[in-house]
Amino acid sequence: MKYDALIIGGGLAGLTCGIRCAAAGLKTAILSGGMNSLHFSSGSIDLMGYDDEGELVKKPFDQVKKICRARRDHPYAKAGLATVKKAMEFFIETTSKTGLTMNHNGDMNHFHITGLGALKPTYLSQESVFSPRGHDILNSGEKIAVMNFSGFRDYYPEQTVAYLKKNRIFAGRDIVLAEISLPWYMDTQKNLHEFRSIDLARIFDTAKYLPRIAEEIRRAAGDAAAVSLPAFLGIKNYRTIRKRLEDMTGKFIYEIPTLPPSILGLRIDQALKESFIGYGGEFIANERAESGPVDSGLLEHVNTRNSGREPVSSKYYVLSTGSFFSGGLASNSQRITEPVFNFKVDADTKRSKWYSWFFFDAKSHPFLSYGVRTDKNFNPVNEKGNTVKNVFCAGAVLSGYDPVREGCGGGVAITSGFACAEKIIGELKK
Amino acid sequence: MKRIETDIIVIGGGATGAGVARDVSMRGLRCVLIEKNDLASGTTGRNHGLLHSGARYAVKDLESARECISENRILKEIARHCVEDTGGLFVTLPEDDPTYHRNLIEGCRFAGISAREISVRRALQIEPNLNPAILSALHVPDGTIDPFRLTSANALDASERGAIIMTHTRVNAIIRKGTRVEGVSCIDKKNEQLNIYGSVIINASGVWGQEICSMAGIELTMFPSKGSMLIIDYRVNGVVVNRCRPPADGDIVVPGDTVSLIGTTSMEVPYDKIHDNNVTDEEIEVLLSDGEKLIPKVARTRALRAYSGVRPLIAVSGESTGRNISRGITLIDHSARDGIEGLITIAGGKLMTYRLMAEKATDLACKKVGVNKKCATHKMPLPGSEKGISRRRRIKKFSGIPDSVVGSTFYRHGQRLQRIMTREKRNYRLICECEMVTEGEIEYAIKNLNVKDLVDLRRRTRIGMGPCQGELCAYRGSGLLQEYGGASPEESVEMLHDFLEERWKGVRPVLWGDGLREAEFTYWIYQGLFGISRPVKTKRKRTD
Repeated sequence: MKYDALIIGGGLAGLTCGIRCAAAGLKTAILSGGMNSLHFSSGSIDLMGYDDEGELVKKPFDQVKKICRARRDHPYAKAGLATVKKAMEFFIETTSKTGLTMNHNGDMNHFHITGLGALKPTYLSQESVFSPRGHDILNSGEKIAVMNFSGFRDYYPEQTVAYLKKNRIFAGRDIVLAEISLPWYMDTQKNLHEFRSIDLARIFDTAKYLPRIAEEIRRAAGDAAAVSLPAFLGIKNYRTIRKRLEDMTGKFIYEIPTLPPSILGLRIDQALKESFIGYGGEFIANERAESGPVDSGLLEHVNTRNSGREPVSSKYYVLSTGSFFSGGLASNSQRITEPVFNFKVDADTKRSKWYSWFFFDAKSHPFLSYGVRTDKNFNPVNEKGNTVKNVFCAGAVLSGYDPVREGCGGGVAITSGFACAEKIIGELKK
Repeated sequence: MKRIETDIIVIGGGATGAGVARDVSMRGLRCVLIEKNDLASGTTGRNHGLLHSGARYAVKDLESARECISENRILKEIARHCVEDTGGLFVTLPEDDPTYHRNLIEGCRFAGISAREISVRRALQIEPNLNPAILSALHVPDGTIDPFRLTSANALDASERGAIIMTHTRVNAIIRKGTRVEGVSCIDKKNEQLNIYGSVIINASGVWGQEICSMAGIELTMFPSKGSMLIIDYRVNGVVVNRCRPPADGDIVVPGDTVSLIGTTSMEVPYDKIHDNNVTDEEIEVLLSDGEKLIPKVARTRALRAYSGVRPLIAVSGESTGRNISRGITLIDHSARDGIEGLITIAGGKLMTYRLMAEKATDLACKKVGVNKKCATHKMPLPGSEKGISRRRRIKKFSGIPDSVVGSTFYRHGQRLQRIMTREKRNYRLICECEMVTEGEIEYAIKNLNVKDLVDLRRRTRIGMGPCQGELCAYRGSGLLQEYGGASPEESVEMLHDFLEERWKGVRPVLWGDGLREAEFTYWIYQGLFGISRPVKTKRKRTD
């Protein structure tokens, strides 16, 4: 056996699971096929945003408790409330050790502002989105400046302001639009087709331009107490950069997530990878599991794309390959499958049942809650109907929840990843 | 209430209506065109974009075949930037009647279509993705035509000659005085009432012509025939591939821009169902399995979207079913037919013959108002199709800008490229990466091509028509509509919402494989990341 735990899929669930395993001293590897969904996430962690009627959830753990009782197939119910809490604490601690602070509002949700000015309920956010100071400023009624970087085509602050003002909290507020620009940067920029958030984040990562940017912000924001920028305040040096920018401008700097790549999400991705490798985990990039034989209820080994005829074996496996977009689930015109091991999935058999008639249907789409069928231990079932005891499933590959409608994608990924790790650690102790 | 006076009122902004507006303007008459939705948003934009050689009709409908080949030659000259002269093949599959091949050659000879018999080997050289099991092949002068570009170019030419093009304006009454129609009463996008008076009304509203006629108190019966098509995400064929058999479902694969289209089904629908553009799972099955017979690669290619259109067939005599009713042109002078002065209906026909239909309708209208000027639309190139700078000079002029970007703009707008593209960086920044649509092209379209919303913008530029179906560029486009189109932030977000719902209609029937992955991603972005709010203005109703 090469590994104690082999994790297939390096997204939020896989990384959380990997860190927990590696931190417990297990020989752990993550196979990562490419970018994960953090690259187009808000960078906040939603635990439980909406209830079954679509109403806002104020206290997410209370809602998790309800779900644990009422919906036994929901990943939260399989993990249990105590594990959800422990997983969240673990995640906060892990990111904080790498220097990325994830703030919460006690046992309450808080809001993050979207590019279209919507307020979305979430549980954990970076300090540029939720912090005690920011909270005070937003509640104080002071003036806010919503800014954009001149010529940046992946964000339109007018839309943010228009819809923000429709919300009770911001209705009577003094909100101004402003634009900052760095003409000398624009001149040196060769290929403007690549003028995306990642390019701006790179400018911000080098502290060199900060004084000029701060000056621009001060000029454009006037007497506003808080300034929002599309999220591009650096990736690696984000914390110091933002602090310096706040010191130089004297204003609270808020970040709004925009079109992918999401800088806010990239920070979490980077923090988690760093943590995993720091614990001695092996992160194998650009590698995909392709198949693996299951005999008497156990996965024997995994064949991967790059390992040729050399199978990779481990005592335990975690399947955290994501949903359709990431390739964890596959479909053709007839059916929905789990493509690596052909585990049983929960999905409607008739294609016309997979989707809702309107794209923005309040009920979301059935396909979003499809996924691999697991028992209460997160063990999947293979095509012969046998439970596969040495495989655990985590994250969006699971069935039984709708990450968007319920506002719980991040929470389920972290919880199920953590829960699978705990189970593996427990099994190995026996 | 606003009031406009003009000479000719054209109802309908499809290819025919836009063609009439152009023709009328070229003969020196004032003209107002009214379209309830957008240019080419009805039947015109809902076909397979085949530049017919006429061969498809050569066995059964010689008159249509002759019209096709004649218009084919004209369009290759006047609409060069809307046309691709790909050539086409008629191939016989083992299961097809081998004698049809002979009949077709004979029919083409009668119609004056140069159909050349070629060896199977040669056919496979021309089209390597073709089913190698074919028994025989025939080469014909088929091509492809972009209906959006064609209609837009006609409308652009008309408006540059003084015509007024009013899109998103709906006719709600025909103003009649005794036996004479005097004008139309309309409602525009902002719900403002508008009366337009003119000497002649040309009803070029296609399948909706029945409604227009009934507003004037005239009975005209359409036989709507629905045709569904499927787009696959790669251009798997370079030339048009037809199946050599009497026209039936799923017998043609047409390349177009970056994709290929499989057409078509034919189904009669009751008149009250003409707005129902849903494609059924059964139709998808037929199109995919028949398309695969012609080009086996279709089975392994991603289905991008499916859509349907309604052919405006008029039953003049006692004709019965969809495929059997002639696709011929019907010109009705309602003074002769119904005793109503000042109203002309032009219907039937097809995209291919839009210019001829426009010519016939305009000739009659001119006769009514006493204008003798002859039609010249077959000689004058459309805006963008003129002879202009050569490729070499173009490359030199725009050096420094990626040729793929210059080429895409040129492909879509022809010689108008020179009014669109500048070497200013902002101008050629890419907004839609799939289809290489630049900010400059979007600015030009919004300011010059009657763009009122994001869906209109798509028809003019192809923004959001590529593999991702507007995943990222839809948002950017909505932002630019504020900047260049004067939309308020709220309007721009509503447009974004409507655009994504409209894209969804076509994706929904083929939601599997990569299409499902893409849809999930788009949903995450707009619902998850942006939390797009639903506009409250319209009540939504499922239409099936």
